[in-house]
Amino acid sequence: MQELIDAIADMMEDKVLELTQKYLDEGKDPAEIFDAYQSAMEEIGRRFEANTYFVPELIMAGEMMKAGSELIKPHLKEDAAGDKSGKIGKYLIATIEGDIHDIGKNIVGMILDLNGFEVMDLGVDVPADKIIEAAKEFQPDIIGLSGLLTLAFDPMKAFVEKLTAEGLRDKFKVMIGGAQMDQQVCEYIGADAWVTDAVAGVNKSKEWLAA
Amino acid sequence: MIIIGEKLNGTRKAVAAAIRERDAGFIKNLAKEQDEGGSAFLDANAGTAPDREPEDMVWMVNQIQEVSDLPLCLDSANPAAIKAGLEVVKKTPMINSVSGEQARIDGVLPLALEHKTDLILLALNDKGIPATVEGRMEIIRQLIGMARDGGLEDEKLYIDPLVIAISTGTDNAMVTYDTIKTIAQEFPKVHITGGASNISFGMPLRPLINRYFIAMAVQAGLDSAIINPNDRELKGAIMTSEMLMGRDKFCMSFNKAFRAGLIGPKPEK
Repeated sequence: MQELIDAIADMMEDKVLELTQKYLDEGKDPAEIFDAYQSAMEEIGRRFEANTYFVPELIMAGEMMKAGSELIKPHLKEDAAGDKSGKIGKYLIATIEGDIHDIGKNIVGMILDLNGFEVMDLGVDVPADKIIEAAKEFQPDIIGLSGLLTLAFDPMKAFVEKLTAEGLRDKFKVMIGGAQMDQQVCEYIGADAWVTDAVAGVNKSKEWLAA
Repeated sequence: MIIIGEKLNGTRKAVAAAIRERDAGFIKNLAKEQDEGGSAFLDANAGTAPDREPEDMVWMVNQIQEVSDLPLCLDSANPAAIKAGLEVVKKTPMINSVSGEQARIDGVLPLALEHKTDLILLALNDKGIPATVEGRMEIIRQLIGMARDGGLEDEKLYIDPLVIAISTGTDNAMVTYDTIKTIAQEFPKVHITGGASNISFGMPLRPLINRYFIAMAVQAGLDSAIINPNDRELKGAIMTSEMLMGRDKFCMSFNKAFRAGLIGPKPEK
């Protein structure tokens, strides 16, 4: 499997699909092949954090993962592929009211999905009430609020306050993401964690679920 | 090239802190250096929190006007803040901005029409930024139509076709260039403006990408830019491309900027 992991991590798209098909034809365990993709994603995340890889590599990895999944899925047993049993956690994501930036949010959503999260994306400029309503329904482990502008801080703070007022604050972890986030902002808003890039967000989320 | 100096923006942390702490020196410095860097307008965005924005805008405008005679570009999504700014400006400003978002059309456009200001129009609406040239042109046509109906001349309009990060889509810059070309063809009298930094989000060597992006946009028809006028490299790229496109007679602007020490390697002191 190492060959496949390396091929994915090195962005060799054709070879990735070729190897995936070959392994499937040879009767290798589809779940194991899928794990190789996950391992490669982790390596890609490390390279992103080391500033060797950038957003295009993340997106291309997403494309490879999608294409690979299409090949693998028909071979997976029902219980692993069909329902949500393969998911490691639930993540509700939205760009907060007052902000319409969605590039960062979309990338985080995609990377979370690739890392085995079930992701619900509410879009941009989403009011606190709508997020809370969706959270009650979806029951995520983590709520992620995205915002690029400093203008997003107050609506995020208001969201956390509303969550607290409804007695739901302890039900979910709250993560804030955006280029302007730091510890001070995080404390002001009352979130559990802050991140400034997608991979850091995924790592933090996994850490939480493992705890 | 009509440069709109972008640095006085309350969504930037340092500026937000200066606004909150009423650090007049910080604001004045930014205004002065952007004035000296060759801006035609100075963008003024006091957006730290909606409830205090009008008051902050007035304070900021007053500080800027103490050190610069340039017209301002009142930048806010909040009509109350723009209105407050309009009451204290010494020169007719530019307004940044109206888009296809209904709230902006209802709240900001009437202010521009009433005060006959220059006006930036953004090619996005409540659904976001259209992925295609045609989608952006639809919004642009609608907005120019409304501005014309309200009595604003085309010369007062600055159309921003917008750009989505190249890291997230191979054709993203091309969509912007093709939109610029289409605007220039359909509306030869309007200005076409835009920022230089969104293109390179998520990429290494961002300044390099920004420079080539804007140089190629100039070739497509960009005649205004919302940038840091003190970025010598970016400025050099813009002036070079304008000259090469035959828009700088006898290369005078380029050579003047060189003599003033505004472009090229920093002169040794």
